[in-house]
Amino acid sequence: MSLFSSAVKKPITTALIFVAIAIFGLFSFITLPIDLFPHIESNSIMVMTSYAGASASDIENNISKPLENTLNSVSYLKHISSQSRENVSVVTLEFQYGRDIETATNDVRDKLEMVKSYLPDGAGNPVIFKFGSDDIPILILSVTAKESMPGLYKIMDETIVNELARVNGVGSVSVSGIPKREIMVLCDPYKLDAYNLTIEAIASLIGSENRNIPAGTIELGSNAYAMRVQKEFNSSSEIEDLVVGSYNGGNVYLKDVARVVDGLQERSQESFINGKLGGMVIIQKQTGENSVQIVRKVKEELPKLQKKLPSDVKVNVIIDTTDNIIRTMGSLEKTIFITLLIVMVVVFIFLGRWRATIIILITIPISLLASLIYLYATGNTLNMISMSSLSIAIGMVVDAAIVVLENITTHIDRGSNPKQAAVYATNEVAMAVVASSLTTLAVFLPMTLVSGLAGIMFRQLGWMVSIVITVSTLCALALTPMMCSTMMRAQNKDKDSKWFKILFTPINKFLDKLSAGYARLLDWAMRHKRIVVLIAALVLIGVLAICAPNLKSEFIPQSDNGRISVTVQLPVGTRQEITRDLALELDRRWREEFPEIERLGLSEGTADSDNMFASMRSNGSHIISMNISVGSMEKRKRSIQEISNIMMAELAEYNQIKRFNVVAGGQQGGMGGQTVCQIDLYGYEFTATDEAAAQVSQMFKDLGVKQTVISRDDYIPEYQVDLDREKLALYGLNTATVSTFLRNRINGAIASEYRESGDEYDIRVRYAPEYRQSLQDVENITVYNNQGQAIRLRELGTIVEAMTPPTIQRKDRERYVSVTAPLPDGMATSDMNEAISAKIEEAGLPAGVSWKIGGTYDDQVQTFQSLGLLMVLIVILVFIVMAAQFESLTYPFVIMFAVPFAFVGILIGLVITGTPLSIMGMVGAVMTIGIVVNNGIVLVDYANLNRERGMGIIRAVVDSGKSRLRPVLMTTLTTVLGMLPLALGRGEGSEVWRGMGMTVAWGLSVSTLVTLVFVPVLYTIFAAFGLGRRRRKSRKLAKAK
Amino acid sequence: MKAVFITYNEAHGEAVMEALEKCFVRGFTMWEQVQGRGTKEGEPHLGSHAWPTMNSAMVTFVDDEAAKRLKERLKEIDALKPKLGLRVFSWTVDED
Repeated sequence: MSLFSSAVKKPITTALIFVAIAIFGLFSFITLPIDLFPHIESNSIMVMTSYAGASASDIENNISKPLENTLNSVSYLKHISSQSRENVSVVTLEFQYGRDIETATNDVRDKLEMVKSYLPDGAGNPVIFKFGSDDIPILILSVTAKESMPGLYKIMDETIVNELARVNGVGSVSVSGIPKREIMVLCDPYKLDAYNLTIEAIASLIGSENRNIPAGTIELGSNAYAMRVQKEFNSSSEIEDLVVGSYNGGNVYLKDVARVVDGLQERSQESFINGKLGGMVIIQKQTGENSVQIVRKVKEELPKLQKKLPSDVKVNVIIDTTDNIIRTMGSLEKTIFITLLIVMVVVFIFLGRWRATIIILITIPISLLASLIYLYATGNTLNMISMSSLSIAIGMVVDAAIVVLENITTHIDRGSNPKQAAVYATNEVAMAVVASSLTTLAVFLPMTLVSGLAGIMFRQLGWMVSIVITVSTLCALALTPMMCSTMMRAQNKDKDSKWFKILFTPINKFLDKLSAGYARLLDWAMRHKRIVVLIAALVLIGVLAICAPNLKSEFIPQSDNGRISVTVQLPVGTRQEITRDLALELDRRWREEFPEIERLGLSEGTADSDNMFASMRSNGSHIISMNISVGSMEKRKRSIQEISNIMMAELAEYNQIKRFNVVAGGQQGGMGGQTVCQIDLYGYEFTATDEAAAQVSQMFKDLGVKQTVISRDDYIPEYQVDLDREKLALYGLNTATVSTFLRNRINGAIASEYRESGDEYDIRVRYAPEYRQSLQDVENITVYNNQGQAIRLRELGTIVEAMTPPTIQRKDRERYVSVTAPLPDGMATSDMNEAISAKIEEAGLPAGVSWKIGGTYDDQVQTFQSLGLLMVLIVILVFIVMAAQFESLTYPFVIMFAVPFAFVGILIGLVITGTPLSIMGMVGAVMTIGIVVNNGIVLVDYANLNRERGMGIIRAVVDSGKSRLRPVLMTTLTTVLGMLPLALGRGEGSEVWRGMGMTVAWGLSVSTLVTLVFVPVLYTIFAAFGLGRRRRKSRKLAKAK
Repeated sequence: MKAVFITYNEAHGEAVMEALEKCFVRGFTMWEQVQGRGTKEGEPHLGSHAWPTMNSAMVTFVDDEAAKRLKERLKEIDALKPKLGLRVFSWTVDED
C-alpha cells in the first residue's frame, strides 16, 4: 500500500500525525533559545610565557621562537603568531574552523611538555588560554552617583555585583571606573630624613601594629579563657597616632611625618556616561550559555536592585549585545510573515479556489515547524541562519503540493470522485515530485559537508532546507491528497459567486492571453532556431564580458548593529587630566552633533589590575575608549558607517591626538563586523618594516581611507635609572635593594590591610604626590644601606631618558607589522585589495620587506574556493538526479542550459545594483542551480509525455509550453517573490542576507525567461537530431535487408 | 444466463461495486489493474509515463434479467462521467 492511498483511507490518522508534528514544532519554537549566529567555537589558543627581566628581543629569541618552532607542527594549524614584549611572550595559534578545540588544546599541551626543558631557566611555565566569543561581555551597565560617589565601589560590590553574579548563566561581573577606597599614608621626605625614618620602616611598623594575635588560653578557677591581643585599627584615624620613632627623647608620631588620607585610589580608570561621572558594571556569560536569556534575567533583576540602592545612584544599560539579536530576529520574523503573505496571494490568484489555497498553504507551517524540531533536537539556536533558511524555504515548499493538487483537480474535473482522484492523481505525479525534490536536496545536502567558516555558517542552512523540503514532499504525498479527498469537489463554473467572477475573470483572461502569446512566441522560435541560439549565445557572452569585470566581491557584508567604538590615543605619558578634558570635549561635541546618539560611555586612565575585562583592553592615562550606542537603524537616517566617517574626519582635526580608531559595529572582521583591508608586512629589520608601514598607511590615505591602524606601537619614552654597580658596591648596596626603595616611594608599599565591616582596604605608604613630581624629586630619594647611611639616588646613578622597543609581532614565524584600514563608503573589499596591491606593486617596498593581504582575506579566498568546489559538485549531482529521472543524458544536458543563464541574471543583478558578491551571494548562486532546473524538468517532462502520446516534436513542445506555463510561472513566482523580502529588506541585519535574496531572485527570474524559450528550442534541436539518427539507422537496416 | 464483462477506469471502482449490490449480484471475478485502450476513442489506460491511468476489469455471471438491469445501471454511471470510460459487454453462457 502506497503512502498516499493509506493517507486517503485513514484521514484521521494522517491529520493527527501532521498535527503532532506541528505541536512538537510549536513546542520547539517556544523553547528554542535565540542567538545571532550558530554557535561558533573559538578557533584560537593563546600560550603565555613569562620570563621576568628579559627584553622584547630576548623574549623573541629565547621563548617565542622555540615555542613557535615546536607548536608549528600541531595539526590543522592555520596561522601561528606571537607577540614578544618585555617579560612576556604570547603565542597565538589559529586553527582551521571546525577543528575541535579540546583536541587542539591537548595537542598543544603535549608539544609544550616537550619544549619546556629547552626554555631558559628563569622562564615560567607556559600557560594555555582559550579566548572565544563567549568572553565578550554581553551586557555593560552604567552606574552614576552624586553623594554616594566615595562609597560607590562598596555599594556596587555588595548589591549589584553579588546579586547579579547569582543570576543563572552569568559568568563574571566586574566593576570598572569606580575607584576603590584606600588608606594612603603620604609622607614628607624631608621630615622622614630629619627623623631618620624610611618608608619601609613606617610600612613595617604599620604592618606590625595592625594585628590581632591569639595568645593561647588561660585557666582561671574552673574556667578556661582565651587570651588575645586585639590591636587592629578600628578607624583609619588611629593610624595617624602611631608612634614611628623617637627623637631627642620625644615620640615621633606618624602625623608628624606624613598625612593619612582615607580616600580613593590615586590613579585609576574613570568612566563617564553621557558626560556624567560614574562606573561601569561589566557582565560576562558562562561558556555555552545563551546571551539573550541571561540578559533578560539580568534586566528583570535590575528594578529590584535599584530599590536597594541609595536614591542618587542610577543604574542604566550602556551596551546590550542582545538588543541587536532581538531586533534582527524581529525583522526576520517580519520577513517570514511577508513572504508567507506573498506566497499566499500568488497561490490564490493562480488557483482561484480558496479550498485549494488552504490545502497548499497548510504545508508551509508544517514543514517549517518540522525543521524547528530538528533545531531543538540538535541543541541549536534560532538564529539568523536558521531563520533566513526558513524564509528561503517558504517559496519552495509549496511547489510539490501545487503539482499534486493540480493533477488531482484535473482528475476531479474529469469526473473522478475526489477520494479516488486523490489516490490515482498522486500516483501519477509522485515520481516527478520526488525527482524535483531530489534536485533541490542535491543542492542543500552537500552544503552540510562544506568545511571551514562557510561550513559552520551553512551547515545549518543545508540541514534546515533539506528537512523542510523532505517534509514538504511528504506533505504533498500524504496530507495534500488526504485533504483534497475530503475538501475538494468538482468545480461548478455556474455556481461561482459574483465577486469571485469579478475578481477572477480578468485574471484568468490575462493568464490565458499570456499563454496564447507564449505559444505564438514558441511557435516563432521553433521556426527560427538559429536566430534564438545566436541571440542566447550573444546575451551570454555579452553579459559575461560587460558585467564580470565590474563584479565586486566581499566576505561578509557589514551589518549595522547600532554600535560604534572609538579609541583615541594621545602621546604616551599624557597626564590623565588632559586626556579627560579632551574626552569630555569630544563627548559634548558628538552628543550635540549626532542626535542619534542614545548613550555615550567613555573611559580613560589606567585600569585596575584586578579588573579582567578592562585590563585586557589597552588602557593608560593617555587612552580614551568610547562605546557609543546609536539605537536601531530603523529610527535614524545615517548609518553607523556614515557617522563613523564623520567622526574620523573630526578626530583628524585634533593635532594632539596621536592615533585613533573608529570601529563601526564595535568589532572588525568576522561576522557582520566592520569590513577592513589589512596588509601584512613581513621583514626582520624594524626600521625597514616601520618605513614600509608608513608608506602603506599613506597609500591607504591616498585611496580615501580616513584612518589606518599600524599594529606596531611606537617606541615608548620612559625614564630609566641607570645604577652604577661600582658605586653601589662602595655603599654596600645592590640593584634589588635600590629598586625596591624607588618603587616603595613612587608606587608605594602596601603596609597592611585595614578591615572594616568585613571588607579589606589597602594601607599604602608612599611619598606625598607633591614630592614626586619632578626628576629632581626622584634623584633626591634617600636610600639607606645596612650601616644606616643615607645616600641620595643621584649618587648611585643617573636618570636617563630611554625608549622601550615596541612589542615584536610575528606571524607564521616571521616578524611582521600589519596596517589596517576600514573601507571608505561605497568601496568593496575586492576594489580596495586591488587598488592597494597595485599601489604597492608600483611604488615598491624597502628591501627585505615582503607583503601579503591579511585579515579575513584568507578566509574569504578559502570560503569562495570551497563554495566554488561545492558548485561543481552540485552541478554534477543535479545532472545525475535528472539523468536518472529521464533515463537519458541528452535531456538533462538541455535543461542544464538554464544554469549559465541563471549566472547571467545574477551578474546583471549584482552589477546593476552595485552589490558586491559576498559569501551569502555565493550560497544564493549555489541554491539557484538547484532551483532553475526545476522549470526545465517540468517543460521537458511534459514535452516527452506529449511525444509519447504521439505528437510531433514541435507540436509536443509548443503544447507543453502552453499547458505548463501556469505551473512554471506559479512555482517560479512563489520562489522569486518569496525571496524579495530578503532581497529588499531594510531591517536589522538585512545587509547580511540581502545578497542571497538578490542572487536567487535575479538568477531565477532571468533564467526562467530564458528557459521558457531557449530550452524548448534546444530540446527540438536535440530531439530532431536523435530522430534523424534513428531514421538513418532504420534506413540502413532496410538497405541491408 | 449471461456473462457480463465490464472494463472501466479504476476511478469507477466504487461506483461499479455499488451497482452490483444494487442489482443483487453477488458473485464476480475481478482484475484490479489491467491495461487497455478503447476501440474507437478515449485515452489509453496503460499505467505508463504518457498514459498513467489504469483500468479494472470484472466478469460476472448472472441471469438475463439481472444482466439487463446491471447493464442499464452501468451505462448510467458511464454517462455521468464520460471522460473516465466504462464499457460493458455480455454474451450468453451455459450453466452446467
